[in-house]
Amino acid sequence: MSRDKIIWVKINTKSYYNILVKLNDIGITIYDNKFKKDYILIETKYEDYKRIKKYLVSYKISIYESTGIDKFKEIFNKYIVFSCGIIISIVILFIANMTVFKIDIKTSNKKIYDIVERELNKNGLKRLTLKKEHFKIEKIVSKILDENKDTLEWLEIKYDGLVMIVNVTEKTQTKKEEEYPNCNIIARTDAKISSLNIYRGIPLKEINDYVTKGEVILSGSITHNEEIKNNVCADGEVYGEVWYKVKIELPFKETITKYTGKNRYNLNIKIDDDKYTILKSRLKQKKEEEINLYKLNDFEINLIKEKEYVKEENILSKDEAYNKAIKLATEKINLKLRENEKILVKKVLKKELNDSTIYLEVFIVTKENIGVRQVVKEEALNDNKHISESNE
Amino acid sequence: MERLHFRDFFKNFLYDLEDFITIYENHLHVFNYQKLTKLSETNIILIVKNMEVNITGENLKIKQMTKQELLINGKILKVEFAYV
Repeated sequence: MSRDKIIWVKINTKSYYNILVKLNDIGITIYDNKFKKDYILIETKYEDYKRIKKYLVSYKISIYESTGIDKFKEIFNKYIVFSCGIIISIVILFIANMTVFKIDIKTSNKKIYDIVERELNKNGLKRLTLKKEHFKIEKIVSKILDENKDTLEWLEIKYDGLVMIVNVTEKTQTKKEEEYPNCNIIARTDAKISSLNIYRGIPLKEINDYVTKGEVILSGSITHNEEIKNNVCADGEVYGEVWYKVKIELPFKETITKYTGKNRYNLNIKIDDDKYTILKSRLKQKKEEEINLYKLNDFEINLIKEKEYVKEENILSKDEAYNKAIKLATEKINLKLRENEKILVKKVLKKELNDSTIYLEVFIVTKENIGVRQVVKEEALNDNKHISESNE
Repeated sequence: MERLHFRDFFKNFLYDLEDFITIYENHLHVFNYQKLTKLSETNIILIVKNMEVNITGENLKIKQMTKQELLINGKILKVEFAYV
């Protein structure tokens, strides 16, 4: 310990004035002092501490080390400029992080952009204002949607760093039926009709009929005695059985990725498109998951979770390869299916095995909505009218 | 005088005084005292050059103290000087 160092010395005493007179008598320098119930703390030089120990032998004297909140106060006071700097920086960073610097309304329609911007301003969502809580945002969104029922279909407000992103979908005015005076329901693909729900129009096909792609199933032309009396827009649901032949070739040998359970954390800084990783990664093969910690325009700080994995080779048995190939074929067809559509039948047509691969041809029957609307052009209508008139 | 009143130190340097006593609100600064004879909550007696300085007050405390200087804190009611 340096001899010039200033320290706090604790002297056990109940008399404040007596001890100070004694310290004065032996010429001790006191820079500060605090008197407690059973002791006095004096701030003095280390050299003087030695002298106090030497002359005041009847007292219990020790160097006082502050702990807890006192220690914190001491450090804070010692580095007051630095501490204040840190606190001010944190406060500024906190306020900046809570502030919206940019509003990004995602629409290309100028009219919608203006409406949304006006509504946001009206509800206090402006640039350089504090971010609002989630429940308040939800309230504002439903209020804006209520007030603009005719123009806005959907609205979402979310924060990405300092940017408020507003996703908006304008209300698409469904074309009125009058715009399509005549339309048919035709087959989207070759199929066998399994169910027919007619809302409007004349059915030209029945259940269990086979149809080819483009064939009219429901007609919008209402005829009587081969004469077109009226044109409507045919509407209905037509479900049919559709057939697929799926070819799958699968090797017995497959490479699988196995996670070892070893994770490492890292940090990276992104400035524009440049990325700088702070720590050197020690994992050879890894998958990275990025969690954004801070974002200011094009500057980002991200926490990276690195998950180690190893690649292992796996040899499938014939049965395993067969089941997997069937599963892949099913998945391939399932990707095409929409709501209320399903696979009805699966049948293996061809199976070939060699040393390294399995080859399958799978026949799949599905139930699908095969009807699509086809608008009949006006020229065609006029031609039809003309034909009917000439027949008369 | 590392931490004791720079202002007084410079004042003393400029005036070139051997000793002085400065009274502030609730503080009394003594420069170049010779001896502290009495110290209590209400009364402090000092010897400065050839004079005895009798300080009367309430809740008197020594804030800072060196061989030459004293900084007294408390409610100062009266300061008396007497030749010794």
